[in-house]
Amino acid sequence: MNEKLKEFQGLKLQHEKKVKMGGIFAIIGLILTVLLISYGPYGIIIVIPSLIYMGIGFSGFRKLSYRFKTEVLAKVIVSFVEDGTFEPNAGLSQSQVYGTEFIKHADRFHTEDYLSGKMEGVSFVSSDVKLEERHVEHTKNGTREYYETYFLGRIFIFEFNKDFDGYLQVLEHGRPQSRRKFEKVKLESVDFNKKFKTYSTNELSAFYVLTPHLMEALMDFEKNNKGSISFSFIDSKVYIGINNFKDTFTLKMFKVLDETAFEEFQRELNVIKEIVVELKLNNDIFKKE
Amino acid sequence: MNPGLIIAIVVVLLLIIPILWFVAVMNGLRQLEVKVEEAESGIDVALTKRFDVLTKLVNTTKGYAKHEAETFENVTKWRQGLPTKLSLDEKQQFMAKMDGVQAGINVAVEAYPELKAEKLFTNLQKSISDVEEHLQAARRLYNSNVSRVNTIIVTFPKSIVAGMIHMEKKEFFEADAGKKEDVEISF
Repeated sequence: MNEKLKEFQGLKLQHEKKVKMGGIFAIIGLILTVLLISYGPYGIIIVIPSLIYMGIGFSGFRKLSYRFKTEVLAKVIVSFVEDGTFEPNAGLSQSQVYGTEFIKHADRFHTEDYLSGKMEGVSFVSSDVKLEERHVEHTKNGTREYYETYFLGRIFIFEFNKDFDGYLQVLEHGRPQSRRKFEKVKLESVDFNKKFKTYSTNELSAFYVLTPHLMEALMDFEKNNKGSISFSFIDSKVYIGINNFKDTFTLKMFKVLDETAFEEFQRELNVIKEIVVELKLNNDIFKKE
Repeated sequence: MNPGLIIAIVVVLLLIIPILWFVAVMNGLRQLEVKVEEAESGIDVALTKRFDVLTKLVNTTKGYAKHEAETFENVTKWRQGLPTKLSLDEKQQFMAKMDGVQAGINVAVEAYPELKAEKLFTNLQKSISDVEEHLQAARRLYNSNVSRVNTIIVTFPKSIVAGMIHMEKKEFFEADAGKKEDVEISF
């Protein structure tokens, strides 16, 4: 694995160098353009090729990132997850994502890095999800259309294998995106109520699912994971959304690729395991008969 | 505008605002009271379920634990005193009694290991732990609602409204710590 890493680190450095050099020359070109503007926009002669060179570097890096996912990461992930499959080009479907009932419909939808398998005997599927909303701005020169990202993170779907009596959502931000008759539930933990808003169609079910231990676990989980966390319990499934504006399994530019990178990936995967354990999904009573 | 009219409007507002506030607080308290009653009925349902499963469990255990049969026999006699007819205090006593029976079953299981192999028995054990979880949830929901009502009752100025409608502090449904330990089933 070390050899493979060294190989990718070498290739990564080459692309990063292109981006760096292109960026430096583009800046020099821009400065020259400003300084020599009275003689003509000659600095552009440097800016344009520099930007092209930079673009080549970015494009190469993206291709390398994809190769890294398929040739290296897929093997690491599959070895870590029982019955694991990792498909960088696939993702959760729209119906699966909106099935969470805490995510509003997007104008632009993108998913990637599909990961499925079992954790502690519990089946799950997950993928990175990027959702964008279309905005139209009216200016004196006409209208300008742009897209704003409101969700970038990972969604997990666990097969809880035990139907709930009622529907439950625990959200750090936002409201349920569903027509169900949700009511806000106040649990006995003041700290939990401060951190999360709980909605349920049946108050008793909320107390049944959210045991004091689970509430504590969810708060710990929230503490250890940056971003906005959402939980939804629908029929026999548990949906978890982590909106941390992070592309989970992607190579980071200008960050040394060594064993620590794998540790980071492993830590991210451990988050999945923590969820399973913390939600007590590994208990017999939650498994299929 | 006529100064007399302004004074009249101010006086009317000064009268109406406290009345509206009073009605809003009173309704809020009444709604919470209903929630407490609903939660209490949730406890009744959970206690009844637990009683039913416990009775089945006792019947299964009796066949093995002949020496303890007489003790277990008493359980069926409680049928007439099911939770709906009991006060909160009596419900707590009823729960404690069931805890005692469960503790007895635990002892019987240790003495008669073949019980563990009985499929019906293990299924009932799973059911009872599920019923236990429901009971805990119902108890927590009840106590949470009681806590909300009691907080309003003792907090000024809402305490005035609570006093005027003769609303009194509600009792919490306590789980006896000592008995709670006995409930734990360790197979």
